[in-house]
Amino acid sequence: MHELAIARNIVNIAIAAAEREGANKIIRINVVAGELRGIVPAQLTFGFGLMAENTIASGAYLNLEITPVECRCRKCREEFTVKDYSYICTNCQNNDIEVLSGTELRVKDIEVE
Amino acid sequence: MKINVMTDILEANDRIAAASAEMFKQNRNLVLNLISSPGAGKTSLLEKTGDALKGQLRLGVIAGDIETMRDSERLQKHKIPAVQLTTGSACHLDANMVASALPHVDLKKTDILVIENVGNLVCPAEFKVGEDYKIVMLSVTEGDEKPLKYPLVFRESSLLLINKIDLLKYTNFNLKEAKVNARRVHPDLEIIDISCVTGEGISDWIAWLNREYHKKFGAKARA
Repeated sequence: MHELAIARNIVNIAIAAAEREGANKIIRINVVAGELRGIVPAQLTFGFGLMAENTIASGAYLNLEITPVECRCRKCREEFTVKDYSYICTNCQNNDIEVLSGTELRVKDIEVE
Repeated sequence: MKINVMTDILEANDRIAAASAEMFKQNRNLVLNLISSPGAGKTSLLEKTGDALKGQLRLGVIAGDIETMRDSERLQKHKIPAVQLTTGSACHLDANMVASALPHVDLKKTDILVIENVGNLVCPAEFKVGEDYKIVMLSVTEGDEKPLKYPLVFRESSLLLINKIDLLKYTNFNLKEAKVNARRVHPDLEIIDISCVTGEGISDWIAWLNREYHKKFGAKARA
């Protein structure tokens, strides 16, 4: 249930951004979460609903974009998407790889009125 | 109207973690965030570690639990300074909770500070608390597929301790398979097999602690 802590942060970040622009209602929040973060969308949505209650984010739509884990092989430079938790180069089978994306967790933008 | 935000959701947490990390560096503390399922043997490991490190490095512990002070009481019996954090309902320690415990820890008299996280393989992996390394512990009574089920913690950790290997013959846990699975999600993960009952592997773990402490602070121990 770390989704609850994440939901609270999302609400705080969105409200701070909205207030900076003088907005008084948040309609939509776009969040990007890497697959490695293991976010359970239903739990995050539920937590968000609770945390947004009685704020300007109440009733806002939380749009969650889950991004895949993208890697690059340090040996042959092949770039590939991790499937089935296999961190092995799909081209040369080397396991010295770097993770390019899939750990991000951020509020991308919000829509306000 | 659309407002560009691009803010890391755990930015506030990470900022506090970075401040704690700086404090740990100044006080010459190697800090380890120990994560496992409930009952894997974190507190037993720390009891063994405190005894084994005597005369080498000084161990301190911040123990996180949802309720009760039992872990810190167990550690104090082994003369290990321990601060208990009861999280209420929270399933993990975050940087703020750990920072709130630091005034109760004598950092100047601590070489290795272990932050014993709440028993859980999911949530603690998400939150930095100022540690140098995360260490994940898996016990053979849990199942060798755990690294595939909880990949983040195995990816984020620098060391995997496989505990209760004295019980291997009573379980269907496949040690080789567990390591294959762990290295599938984290190819260069270090792994040490241990038993907190027989003491097997504990010397390797102590050697790891010494190596990492001296790597961080140089060969010379503090005066």
